Amino acid sequence: MYRLLSSLTNRPWLVFVAVLGVSVAFLIAAAGNTRMETDLDEYMPKDHPAFIYSDEAEEWFDIDDGIIIALEHPDGIYNHGTLSKIKDLTKELERHDLIDRGDVTSLYTVDNITGSEDGLDVRSFYSKVPETELELDALRRGVRANDMVRGRLVSEDETVTLIVAELGDDAFSQEFYHEILDLTAAYEGPEKLYVAGRPIVEGTMAYLAPKDMKRMVPIVLLIITAVLALVLRSPKSTFFTLLVVVLSTLWTFGLMAWLGIPIYAVSTMIPVMLIAIGVADGIHIYGHLGLYQRVTPGVSARDGASEMIRGMWKPVVMTSVTTAVGFISLLTSDVYPIKYFGMFTAFGVMSAMVLSLVLIPAGVVAFGLPGAGKATAKAKAKPEGSDGIAVAFGRDVMRHRKLTIAVTVVVVVISAMGATKIWINSSFLEKFERDSDIVLTDAFINERFGGTSTLNVILDSSDDGAMKRPDVLRLMDEMQTESEMLEEVGDSFGLADYLRRINKVMHADDPAFDTIPESAELVAQYLLLYEMSGDPETLWRTVDYDFAKSNITLQLKGDDSKTINRAIGVVEEFRPLFEDLGVSVNYAGSGYKGLIFTDLILKGQVKSLILSLGIIVVLLSLMFRRISAGLIGVIPITITAIVSFGVMGLLGIPLSTTTALISSIAIGVGIDYAVHFMERFRVAAKRTGDVVATIADAMHHSGRAIMFNAVVVIAGFLVLLFSAFPPNRVLGALVSGNMFISLLGTVTIMVVVMVQTKFYFKK
Amino acid sequence: MKTIGALAVLILVVAAGFVSAEEPHGLDVTAEEPSGLELVENVYNRPDGEDMQSRLTMTLMNSRGDTRVREILQFMKDFGDVEKKMMFFESPADVRNTSFMNWSYTAVDTDDNQWIFLPALKKVKRISSDSKGDYFMGSDFTYDDLGDRHPSSDTHTILGREDVNDEPCYVVESVPIEEEYIYGRTVSWIVEDKWVVVKKDFYDEDDELLKTLTVDEYRDISGYWVVTHSTTHHVQRDHTTIMALDDIQLDTGIAENKFTERMMTRGL
Repeated sequence: MYRLLSSLTNRPWLVFVAVLGVSVAFLIAAAGNTRMETDLDEYMPKDHPAFIYSDEAEEWFDIDDGIIIALEHPDGIYNHGTLSKIKDLTKELERHDLIDRGDVTSLYTVDNITGSEDGLDVRSFYSKVPETELELDALRRGVRANDMVRGRLVSEDETVTLIVAELGDDAFSQEFYHEILDLTAAYEGPEKLYVAGRPIVEGTMAYLAPKDMKRMVPIVLLIITAVLALVLRSPKSTFFTLLVVVLSTLWTFGLMAWLGIPIYAVSTMIPVMLIAIGVADGIHIYGHLGLYQRVTPGVSARDGASEMIRGMWKPVVMTSVTTAVGFISLLTSDVYPIKYFGMFTAFGVMSAMVLSLVLIPAGVVAFGLPGAGKATAKAKAKPEGSDGIAVAFGRDVMRHRKLTIAVTVVVVVISAMGATKIWINSSFLEKFERDSDIVLTDAFINERFGGTSTLNVILDSSDDGAMKRPDVLRLMDEMQTESEMLEEVGDSFGLADYLRRINKVMHADDPAFDTIPESAELVAQYLLLYEMSGDPETLWRTVDYDFAKSNITLQLKGDDSKTINRAIGVVEEFRPLFEDLGVSVNYAGSGYKGLIFTDLILKGQVKSLILSLGIIVVLLSLMFRRISAGLIGVIPITITAIVSFGVMGLLGIPLSTTTALISSIAIGVGIDYAVHFMERFRVAAKRTGDVVATIADAMHHSGRAIMFNAVVVIAGFLVLLFSAFPPNRVLGALVSGNMFISLLGTVTIMVVVMVQTKFYFKK
Repeated sequence: MKTIGALAVLILVVAAGFVSAEEPHGLDVTAEEPSGLELVENVYNRPDGEDMQSRLTMTLMNSRGDTRVREILQFMKDFGDVEKKMMFFESPADVRNTSFMNWSYTAVDTDDNQWIFLPALKKVKRISSDSKGDYFMGSDFTYDDLGDRHPSSDTHTILGREDVNDEPCYVVESVPIEEEYIYGRTVSWIVEDKWVVVKKDFYDEDDELLKTLTVDEYRDISGYWVVTHSTTHHVQRDHTTIMALDDIQLDTGIAENKFTERMMTRGL
């Protein structure tokens, strides 16, 4: 290995050409085939029973996420102008290619079911826009008397009305979003128009997140470059270290494109991982060279490069292989984008390893030693410098062993307790600023109407006609009433609402008959009646043709997991009661799928974290030929992971797809630190045979490089704290935090444990 | 006489091979040609008996292929200025004996009267809906499709001629005169001589195809042409209605007092 690498290093230009060739090949692959996957459904594990069921139910009942347009008129909506706008906007939406006719619900389209002495009357509220006071007043009274419309389409204070347009799956695009915004803008004044709904929230996020990243990434890279230059004290070394990161990222995305795998949202975390992990190799290799130059002044570039490889190839290979294996453990995830994330990050880490071992020494041979003159001059002027700090720090840790252990135990225990409080959140809305338009609009509509988010409860029986049975219907109705008691559930809608309404109007609007009809026959006949008198399309969103399945829509005030789970909690109380009637309870809808999805990711993440810990223990035990090495080596990872989850739990930061993945950094970085330090410790122990001298050497050599590595990455990612997009701020904080804990864990408690267990000192 | 003359000319034209069977041709409108209005009037005025009784099997199919079947015994009688219709549901079982009565007036601006009897409620109720564009019993027919639309409500243009099931047909486009009508236009294929519409395309306000009616079978019953099997596919909803008539009896002299609220409650 050493010989192969050395011979390559001696032909630097050959190395450059080869690396360039491979890079160009990957670049061509990437340029031709790179494809972003924006369809959220593509992320879902399609064979998961909950998803299969939800997808089926969405098809049975035509469940789609709706765009909600709210029209507000401060003096009330019952005037000719506003009603004309409702009509025109409805018609314009209906004409849109992406919206099916009949998928737009507004005061203009909705049926008004009313009763009279001798019968039933189903009409639209208006078709010609009412003009006279008399007509307007009749409309107002009609809405007030109809609780299927009042509070659902028109707010109780009569100043806001909604137009809901359901969108087919995947229909949402940026263009569409802007079309809708332009459309509503044209209707402004004196009415105010608001646009909300899950497609809008999802769409805006898909648009904002990369836009924010595009702005932040150059700054992050700039800071990293600056700090790296400061630490390495050489533009050449900085250039090559960064080149390794950039090329390994390019290779990774090139391979992805070449294999025809699209870029998923989580794949955007790959560069983050590669920056955090990839710069480590360069820093350690250059660090080793720097120290070597200091002890052997006047060394030639060729010898320096040779020493870089000789001293560092082993730890670099060890850290990279263990890191890669850690990421490969993500293949156990149920979610494809996560599998790909693990696979490709592993590939990126291995690319960074190869590039570091080949490109960096070749660079030294071709362009000379980094800042040779200046570095030695400075070293002479400041004989101790940061090395002194490193050694002194090692001494302090040795002196306060008991304190170190005690503090670690306390931190880990508190973190573990915090970690139990952690909660998963699949909310899209909570990713926005509290005072952003999208959040304010959502709150505005939630305050006046049932809710902008939905949960679909699907009742399913093997018995055709089960949904006509009064006992089933009564239980449905009870469940709706019970769930509406929750603050989070603003409204609910189902088959029972139709039947209660028809029953009431067929009994001359007598409130005593606002109940589920007495017999299944009457239910069937009412529904036939409804079909005869109205537009039955909307009915089939609540029940299937065989009356074996029914869909109840709960309107929620938020799309966060706590809200959805509370609603599910109430529904679950009814599960045994429904089961007694031979009816099973299931869920559907995008909010529910998001919840399940996030849960799957989290469970997969924890599973793969534990699995990778196991693998790493084995690998390290084999590499260092002792089990203690494996056990000691995973200390930084374990502590980082526990503290990371603990801090999130204590600060109430919910786990989401991205935040869960950040814990992978703990593996990648924690392992690097531990292995570099242990390897140096081993070498020094063998040479000196003295604990104090060994620690001093390891601190001086690895500890310093580890700290530089941490400082570079932390500085870079702290920049994200100034991001305009809250999830990116969390990302910045968590990456920095992870780096810091990994650093601290390695140079404190791991050192103490090594000393206490007489690591490499007992024969 | 005029019509026969026009037909003779047409037959000659066809025989001479000037008109291909595949695509509609523009017709040279000469004095001998019937106008579009005349063709539609022929359909409208086609004798269909004083009364009829039959068993209607209505099959509804949604986009997923789920079906619902209803069997209805129906009676109709022409009273000159009003056509009265009575329907009794035979199946599904839970709506058996539910009955529906409709009085449709010839006068253009008179709304239909409709009643329904729900046996479980034991009451006859009036039902009313504002729009003739509502679909009838969840089918793909609107109330308007079921009633005969008066030819004077539309302007009619002959688009050409085309064979449907080897029968020569006129292709007539009808555009409503009033603006707020449920269809932007319709195109009918009318079998010449028999004056039966065997195919009809309905277009919406934006001139997109809304639905197509295909007559699968029509028969001569007691000297009248009666459509006995038809399929309507609502393209935009992807929903299909199949209507089949059996046990058809015409001119049996159904009693006038059959069409009353009291009779509705009698059941089958």
